Amino acid sequence: MAHAHSVKRHKGLMDWLTTVDHKKIAILYLLAGGLFFGIGGIEAVLIRLQLIKPMNDFVSAQTFNELITMHGTTMIFLGVMPVIFALMNAVIPLQIGARDVAFPFLNSLGFWTFLFGGLLLNLSWIMGGAPDAGWTSYTPLSTTTYSTTHGVDFYTVGLQIAGLGTLIGGINFLATIITMRAPGMSFMRMPMFTWTSFITSAMILFAFPAITVGLVLLSFDRILGANFFEVSNGGNPILWQHIFWIFGHPEVYILILPAFGVISEVIPTFARKRLFGYSSMVFATILIAFLGFMVWAHHMFTTGLGPVANALFSIATMLIAVPTGIKIFNWLFTMWGGQIRFTSPNLFAIGFIPTFVMGGVTGVMLASAPADFQFHDTYFVVAHFHYVIVGGLVSGLLAGLHYWWPKMFGRMLNETLGKLSFWFFIIGFHLTFFVQHFLGLMGMQRRVFTYLPNQGFDTLNMVSTIGAILMGIGILFFLINAIATAFKPKGVAADPWEDGRTLEWAIPSPPPEYNFKQTPLVRGIDALWKEKMAGNKGMTPAEPLGPIHMPSPTILPFVMSVGIFIAGLGFMFSKEDFSNSFMSLIFNNWIVVIIGLLITFGSMLLRSLYDDHGWHIEVEELEEEGVKA
Amino acid sequence: MTSADHQATHDVVKHSERHEGPQKHIIVFVLSIVLTAIAFAAVAAGGVNAAFTVLLLLVMAVIQVLVQMGYWMHLKDRGHMMPIIFMLGGFFVAGTAIVTALYWVWW
Repeated sequence: MAHAHSVKRHKGLMDWLTTVDHKKIAILYLLAGGLFFGIGGIEAVLIRLQLIKPMNDFVSAQTFNELITMHGTTMIFLGVMPVIFALMNAVIPLQIGARDVAFPFLNSLGFWTFLFGGLLLNLSWIMGGAPDAGWTSYTPLSTTTYSTTHGVDFYTVGLQIAGLGTLIGGINFLATIITMRAPGMSFMRMPMFTWTSFITSAMILFAFPAITVGLVLLSFDRILGANFFEVSNGGNPILWQHIFWIFGHPEVYILILPAFGVISEVIPTFARKRLFGYSSMVFATILIAFLGFMVWAHHMFTTGLGPVANALFSIATMLIAVPTGIKIFNWLFTMWGGQIRFTSPNLFAIGFIPTFVMGGVTGVMLASAPADFQFHDTYFVVAHFHYVIVGGLVSGLLAGLHYWWPKMFGRMLNETLGKLSFWFFIIGFHLTFFVQHFLGLMGMQRRVFTYLPNQGFDTLNMVSTIGAILMGIGILFFLINAIATAFKPKGVAADPWEDGRTLEWAIPSPPPEYNFKQTPLVRGIDALWKEKMAGNKGMTPAEPLGPIHMPSPTILPFVMSVGIFIAGLGFMFSKEDFSNSFMSLIFNNWIVVIIGLLITFGSMLLRSLYDDHGWHIEVEELEEEGVKA
Repeated sequence: MTSADHQATHDVVKHSERHEGPQKHIIVFVLSIVLTAIAFAAVAAGGVNAAFTVLLLLVMAVIQVLVQMGYWMHLKDRGHMMPIIFMLGGFFVAGTAIVTALYWVWW
């Protein structure tokens, strides 16, 4: 049945550019996410250095606006999203007993469009100024009337391209989780990380179209002279806020749910107990997603929505505390009576719980519309969302990275460095952001580039900046850990934490490119743990050993993304007045856009016309490797 | 194997169900055209009153959507629970936004 036909194997850089293997794409996502996270982190430190003392002139007001805008945009869209996708790519196919994602080609396309969108956005620093209208890019501030540089164009076009990648990734994981679970893995036997990623992907599917539409409207307003948000021509600037937050609020749950999933994996493993209340965890995840789409207007209480809307959105927002509370208590009950090991991933996971609770409590405070009139646009809000995103999400991601690092790279991270990075990170984090609650309550506005002395802001801002530096040191320890580990020899066991519960720990670390030699048969929640408890050596295979069908590597996703990148740049500068006549010829006549789109659609045509049936790994090859393993 | 296992492994549409012959599809095709024709005719005829025409158009549109999705997108077939759930999810999200914008929010 298997027709042996050789496949072109690439080496070195070409291997990475053409790979469709989910494990390699995970590493690419991690590298790209790490790069943008680093850029966003440097921006954060610069912001804090500017605010270290009153009337500071470390950066100018304009640069400060660019810094805060790019810090927020980079961290949300280009920093944590790819790290989430890195974990999803690295873990989900393994957790559900699949050999790859449903659409390996799309997986690669999703990564490259994301990367080129991110690069386009960050090119703004060297191409005439970064976006400066805040990460929310509210109109009318972001319209051409008030933002005259190309900054906001980089924002609209860059995010549009990066968002395409996210949408592709989300759909891919939906299809993967629905169709590719191993025999016996019903929905209610899926590991929690797979569940939360599934719900996150569904939210991506519903939320990203809103921002796509919003960005199209804003870029049409700015570049083609449309009037969607232009009051003088009958537009409505509040419309942008609605569109942005119809996307934006689900987006924050898109971010946090995978972190919830990581915590739900790490805590049971290191407590040596099954997750307390599995079905209530699933229910809570779905409920959070459901409610997440009905609360967007709580970002807009002060725009004057009216008392009915404010009251209803207040209540809907407060309701989210219920499923989130269920999760918190379930984690606590999982640890209750467990044999807890304080490894570095578990430290991050345990640190997550109180920190996230604090962020949640301020969230409920902000949900109260009358109180929000006081908190709105102060440092109280800044403290709140950094508690949930940094203290919550980033802690969760660091827990996940420490936990799955041996599975991704075949090498254990150093425990001492891991613990050092945890303590620096969590102490620095609370120093930075705890005091910001009080700064906000005392009346310090967010997004101000400086402040007058003797308003009671001076000491707390100093403390906050010191905390930010400590947090940066924590992240540096993690970076040193990662680099140092890369030089260690590979060869950790399949189950290096020894208490692994889910399927990914049943196969070698790092897994072979086909993951599972034979698809495993799943007999319950925590499939591997169940086999361990039954005294079995590993998973029972659900199929005889046979040739494995693999997708071929391809450069097309990369080329398609380059095309979109070129078209995006061309679109941005289509109305620019160039002094160079050649530049104005190719840009003002849409030639650059057409070239870019030709590259993309040409690649799509090539992909459609040229049938690539992939290749097979034959049984003999598998058996050979089996001896080695 | 428990029934849950059974569900998970057989979530795929059986191949035979896809081929139920052209007859049903021809009927549905004609029905789609008739529905469209009624809608066009109602507007072209003018007459009666505008509110009635709008209502009629909406009813025709809903039937049209159901027919298209049920037959051409195969949502009526077995194993299409997930597409239906996600489609309803999409309706819910979009509907929330529209209803809110129309009735709760001042602008």
